[in-house]
Amino acid sequence: MAPPCAHCHSARAVIIRPKNRHRLCRECFIRVFETEVHETITATQLFQRGERIAIGASGGKDSTVLAAVLKTLNERYDYGLSLCLLSIDEGIRGYRDDSLETVKRNAQQYAMPLEIVGYGELYGWTMDQVVAQVGKKGNCTYCGVFRRQALDRGAARLGISHVVTGHNADDVAETVMMNLLRGDLPRLSRGTSIVTDSAASEVKRSKPLKYAYEKEIVLYAHHRRLDYFSTECIYSPEAFRGSARSLIKDLEKIRPSSILDIVRSGEDLAGLVPAEVKGTGPVGGGGGGGGCGSQNGRTSGGEMAEMERRLAGDEAAAGQETEIRLPVRTPGRKNKQAKDQPKVKTQTMGKCERCGYISSQKVCKACSLLEGLNKNRPRMAIDVDMEDEESSTTLMRQMERVELG
Amino acid sequence: MPQKELVDPCSDCREFESILTQRNRRLCQDCYRRAVSLKVLRRTENYRLRKHPFPRTGPLNLAFPLSYGLSSTVLLHMLHDQLDAQLAKPRGPPGYTLHVLIIEPSTICPSSPSHEEGFEAAQKCFPHFSFTRVSFHDIFEFVPDILETMSQFAGSFFVDNPSLSNQERLAAFRASISTATSRADVDYILMNRLVVAFAKKMDCRAVLWGDSDSKLAAKTLANVAKGRGSSVTWQVSDGMSPFGLEFSFPLRDLFTTELQNYATFFPELSKIIIRDEPPSENTLTKNLSIDELMMRYVQTQGEKYPGVMLNVTRTAAKLDPSQAPTTAQCSFCGSAVSESDGESGFCYGCIRSRPESR
Repeated sequence: MAPPCAHCHSARAVIIRPKNRHRLCRECFIRVFETEVHETITATQLFQRGERIAIGASGGKDSTVLAAVLKTLNERYDYGLSLCLLSIDEGIRGYRDDSLETVKRNAQQYAMPLEIVGYGELYGWTMDQVVAQVGKKGNCTYCGVFRRQALDRGAARLGISHVVTGHNADDVAETVMMNLLRGDLPRLSRGTSIVTDSAASEVKRSKPLKYAYEKEIVLYAHHRRLDYFSTECIYSPEAFRGSARSLIKDLEKIRPSSILDIVRSGEDLAGLVPAEVKGTGPVGGGGGGGGCGSQNGRTSGGEMAEMERRLAGDEAAAGQETEIRLPVRTPGRKNKQAKDQPKVKTQTMGKCERCGYISSQKVCKACSLLEGLNKNRPRMAIDVDMEDEESSTTLMRQMERVELG
Repeated sequence: MPQKELVDPCSDCREFESILTQRNRRLCQDCYRRAVSLKVLRRTENYRLRKHPFPRTGPLNLAFPLSYGLSSTVLLHMLHDQLDAQLAKPRGPPGYTLHVLIIEPSTICPSSPSHEEGFEAAQKCFPHFSFTRVSFHDIFEFVPDILETMSQFAGSFFVDNPSLSNQERLAAFRASISTATSRADVDYILMNRLVVAFAKKMDCRAVLWGDSDSKLAAKTLANVAKGRGSSVTWQVSDGMSPFGLEFSFPLRDLFTTELQNYATFFPELSKIIIRDEPPSENTLTKNLSIDELMMRYVQTQGEKYPGVMLNVTRTAAKLDPSQAPTTAQCSFCGSAVSESDGESGFCYGCIRSRPESR
């Protein structure tokens, strides 16, 4: 006979909580799960009364549970929030078109307005077209950079400055491990914080499910019979994240608390990252940082092998280095100042020359990726003006060949 | 006289046939040995040449825990070689006095045999160093307050019986820890405390640890996975430890394969070294300890990506412990305790390894 619920002591326990192996009944589990999210929200003062919040909704389990829990908590504890759903259409046939249908149903079920922003309309490229162009390797970079901007633009369109995402404890733990493996200190310093608002974006992002286990999210969705879409992205994952993910699955088997322990370690490590390193590195590593986290421990290995080659190269170069000493000058004031300053460059934020998006470079990452993509795309219309000459040399060469032939 | 034609000359000395590849360079045995120990030579310069903050004259004591493993034995050999060369110079700096501590392996794990032969061989091989051998349960003598800490740590799961021998009392405490992960974690903390207490007793300024690159990478990842992120710095990086002693890891720049090759040059080391048993393939993942899992992870990944694994430790070394808020120390492991950890006096990582929590 099954033991009674450890919480209410009356109903029959049907769930062993993955987080701590407590045995709970269905009602108590749902209640406990929601209460824990509520505690995270209140402890971190995540929301303000009257705030408008966009829930980044993919139709997957995490964002569906996030929407359901936030709706419940908003009513139960009277947060006074106005919630809506914001979806990104990456343009991946057989994956996103189906999951968007789920989001549309969710919008009806939860009576929330829904906004969909497509890569196609924003950038002129769907992910299917990007993959056709660059292949399956490395396409996650495009998707990640595009998604970040798309979420910001979608939020701007709705006039909302706070987007919540469904990143869970497993995702955060994975990010900590991945950034350690990649040696990415800037991201290590910001990946674990519940709110990531940086100079790189006008939109604040947060992850209310930061302490929720992936397995419990699945259980919650199951026991509340939520309508979600469970297929994973069909394109290739990032090797470091894949490697970190399988490691974390093993750790969870050994000690269930280790996911939370890694999150805790990540928070402590973030405090140890030297201040001059914190603000550096690639913009936009908020939560995800290299891939969208929807992969399942499959690895392509390319990124790790690439880094291995780079490190070995550095090592070889270090051995060949010759230290050149300049004659010692009497240390003037100027000289000393230069020596004391940290060598690390810090970011200064400006606007992208092309699209106006906030960027530390002249041209934002999305625009420079687009430039690369567009270079190889044949022009639709044939209009060889003098001004256009440079960008259509390929076409002209082709025309010449036709004439010669 | 025409020079002898070499098929594949050593890229350093060009005089001998190369036999090994070290980081993409083909070297002869002598140059290989020199290249490998050069990295250790640099890492221990401060002690050898008495650089700041160590006194230029007078005694300088250093502690060295020897596990009879490949890496600590090889490191000891390198240090002995270097000190030997230095002492041969009439006007060289005075060097240092190295106190080697051996925790008898059979007292840590009852299934491992006593290593009498290794102890004698080590003393014979390294005459410049002094050797001390202790049992694991001697911790009660070296760290008198550890018994009380143990009682608080294990709560009702461990009731000390003063009529038992130290050996039995330690065994009773260790038996109160239920999971493999916590047991390995607790054992490591106790050994660390014992080494620190020994070092202090011998008036040492620093402890030199013989952890290999893969051990350090595994330790970094395991500490993070055990919620010990805040202590990663002193666990794997050179610098001040919370115990007022410097911790130094001179092998941090070497790959394990380089240590293995080095050991083959000196057959006498084989008498000292206890080889690691290959990891059993039949153990279920869930029965491993986190430390073992990480060691396996680093070893399997390290075959393909040794640089990436080495980089994990380098990344940890870039962290700045001085940024951490000054807080109380954990009464068991010495790490920082934050306010959110409650009133027990134990840090987050230690609370995770206590018997009642899973």
